[in-house]
Amino acid sequence: MDYITGQFLVNLLMNGILIGLIYGLMALGLTLIFSVLGIVSFAHGEFYMIGGYVVYYLLQAFGNLEPMIAILIAGAVTFVIGVIFELLFLQPMGKGDIERPGEYAILLTFGLAFFLQHVMIGIVGPFPTKVDRFYDFAEIDWGWLRMKAATVWFFDMPISSSRLIATGVAVVLTALMIWFMSKTWTGRGLQAVSQDRQAASVVGINPSHMNTLAFGLGTMLAGMSGAALVTVFAWVPWVGMPASSKSFIIIVLGGMGSMPGALLGGLVLGIVESFGAGLYPDPSKALAYKDAFGLLVFALVLLVKPTGFFGRKL
Amino acid sequence: MKRIPIQGVLLVLLLIFAFAFPRIMQGQPYWLYVALQSFFWAMMAASWALLAGYAGQFSFAHIAFMGIASYTSGILGRDLGWSPISGIILGTLMAGLVGVLVGYLCLRLRRTYLALFTIAFSEIVRLIINAEHEFTGGPMGLYMEPLLETTSYVPTYYIMLVALIVSLAIMYAIANSRLGLFLRSIREDEEAAAAMGVHVVRYKILAFVITSMIAGIAGALDHHIIGFIAPNELMIPRMSLVIAMAVIGGTESLISASLGAIFIHFAMEWLQKIPVPASWMPSLRENTATLQQFGLSLGEGYLQTNAWRMVLFGLMLMLTLRFWRNGLIQPLLEKIGRQGVAEETVAKRKFSQEENEIEGTEA
Repeated sequence: MDYITGQFLVNLLMNGILIGLIYGLMALGLTLIFSVLGIVSFAHGEFYMIGGYVVYYLLQAFGNLEPMIAILIAGAVTFVIGVIFELLFLQPMGKGDIERPGEYAILLTFGLAFFLQHVMIGIVGPFPTKVDRFYDFAEIDWGWLRMKAATVWFFDMPISSSRLIATGVAVVLTALMIWFMSKTWTGRGLQAVSQDRQAASVVGINPSHMNTLAFGLGTMLAGMSGAALVTVFAWVPWVGMPASSKSFIIIVLGGMGSMPGALLGGLVLGIVESFGAGLYPDPSKALAYKDAFGLLVFALVLLVKPTGFFGRKL
Repeated sequence: MKRIPIQGVLLVLLLIFAFAFPRIMQGQPYWLYVALQSFFWAMMAASWALLAGYAGQFSFAHIAFMGIASYTSGILGRDLGWSPISGIILGTLMAGLVGVLVGYLCLRLRRTYLALFTIAFSEIVRLIINAEHEFTGGPMGLYMEPLLETTSYVPTYYIMLVALIVSLAIMYAIANSRLGLFLRSIREDEEAAAAMGVHVVRYKILAFVITSMIAGIAGALDHHIIGFIAPNELMIPRMSLVIAMAVIGGTESLISASLGAIFIHFAMEWLQKIPVPASWMPSLRENTATLQQFGLSLGEGYLQTNAWRMVLFGLMLMLTLRFWRNGLIQPLLEKIGRQGVAEETVAKRKFSQEENEIEGTEA
C-alpha cells in the first residue's frame, strides 16, 4: 500500500473531478427530460454513443474540419433524432392515447436503446474505433505546469490532454445550458412546465412543444458529451450502456429532475469511481469493479433516500 | 348449445406438433437445437410476462436470475463435483432466494425507480461475475457439465419441452387463481388492493420468487445443454430481447408471450441468412463493397443480415408498444377464440351467462 501518497490521492481527486464534469453534462440532459416529461429515457447512452460516431465520421470525411464544429454538428444530429422520436412515440402519451404511460415510456425507450445500438452495429460493425485528440498542446515548461502534445503535468501529476479538452468543452456547454435555462424565455418556459404544466399553459406556454424541445435538448446534451469524450475512450456501439447507467446513477444521486443535483451528482460519481478504482486493494480487479462502485452507491441511494440530494418529494 | 372450444383444439394440435417435431425434423439437428433454445426464451418471456404483465413489476433483473442459477450450478459442478441435476435444483433455489431479497428491497420502489434499481442490480451481478475470475471464470466464461452424455438433441429437446409445459402450467394455474387476481389488483392500484385486504408485501415478493425461479431453472437447464456460460449473456441487450419477445407476443397472456418468444427466436435464426433468388446474385455481387459498408455480407445464394435482424426486432418492439398494446399474437388468439363472432357479442353473452349464474345461486 506504499503507493498511496498524498500526491496520488490528489491525482485521483483531480481525475475524478475532470471526468465528473463531463458526466454532469450528460446527466443534465437526462434530468431535463425527466423534469419536463416525467420519464427516464433508457436510451440516453445511445445518443451519447451516436454523438461520438458523428464526430468520428465527420473527422474521417473532412480531415481538416474544426473539431468544435464537429461537436456542434453531433449535437444537431442527436437533437433531430430526439425530436423525431418524441414526436412519433412520446407525443401520444400526453394526449392520453396510451394507457399506463409510465410503463409505456420505460419499455419504449428501452426498445429505442436496443434499436439504435443495433443500427450502429449494423453500420459501423462491432470493432472499436479511436479518434485522435482534437488539438496538440504547445510545449511549455514552467516547473509547476509542463505541457507536451499529449500530456499535461500539473505539479508533476500527469493528465491526458484529450481528457482536459473534453472537460473544457463540457464546462463551456454546461455554462451555456445554465444560461439558457435561467435567462432565456424558452429556458424559463421549460422550467415553468417542469414545475406546473397547467399553470404554464395558462400563461401561454405550450407544454407539448416544451416536451419535444426538452427531449431534443436532452438527447443533444448526451450527444455532445459523447462527441467530446470520443477522443478519450475507444468507441464501440455498446459504449452507451455504461454511459446510460452512469447518467441514471447521477440523476438519482442528485435528485431526479434537479439540474444542480445533476452537476453535483456527476462530480460525486466521478470522484467515487476514481477513488474506488485507485484504492481497491486488488489492482487486477480494480478496473473491472470501477463501474460497480457507482452502481452500489446508486442502489443504496434508491433504497435509503430515493429523492437524492435535491429531489422533489415523490 | 355448447361451442367447440377452438382454442383448446389449437393447443392440443400445437402440443402434438411440438412432440412430433423431432420426427419431422429428422436429420436436421440444427433446427432441433433452435427449437430447444426457443423453449428457453419462451420460459424467460412467459415468466417475465407474469411478473410485468400480471403483477405490474417491470423488473429488468430477470436475466440476472437466470445467470445466478446457471453459475451456481456450474460452479457446484466444477468445484464440488455435483451432478447437473442437483446443481440445477440448488441453482433454482438460489435464484429464488435472491428473488426474495430483490423483491423485498423493491417493495417501496415503483415504475421508473424499480426499473432503475433492477438494472443496477443486474449490472452489479454481471460485473461481479466478470471480476471474480478465479471463482466464476471471468470474461472467458465457465464450462458446464453437459446435461446428458449423448450428442443427439432429441432427448434434450424433450427435456426443454417438458420444462416449458410444466412451468407454463404452473404459471397458468397461478395466474388464474386467487393469487393471480391479487397480483393483478396490485398492478392496477397498490393502495386500493391493500385497502381491500390484499397482503401486498407478501404477494409482491412471491411474484418475484416464482418468476425468478422459473428464469433460474430455464437458464440452468439451457446452459447445461449448451455446456458453457459467459458473463456477456447477462448483458442488458439480452434482457431487451426477452422484453421484445414478451411484448410482441402479449404481456398479459402467458401463452402469447411464450409463442412470441418461440416465433421471434425462429425468425431470428431464419433471418440470419436470407435466401436470395439466383437471378439477383450477379447484381448483388457487383455491390459487395456497398453491402459490406452497411453491415451486410453476401454468401453463396444467401444474404447475411448480421446485426440488422436485431434492428428489425427493436423496431417491432417500439411499434407494437405504440400501436398494439396487447401484442401481436394475443389479439390473433382471441380472434380465433371468438370464431368470427364480434367482440361485443361475446361480452354480452358472457355477461348474461354470469347474470344467470348469480340468479341461480340466489334462488
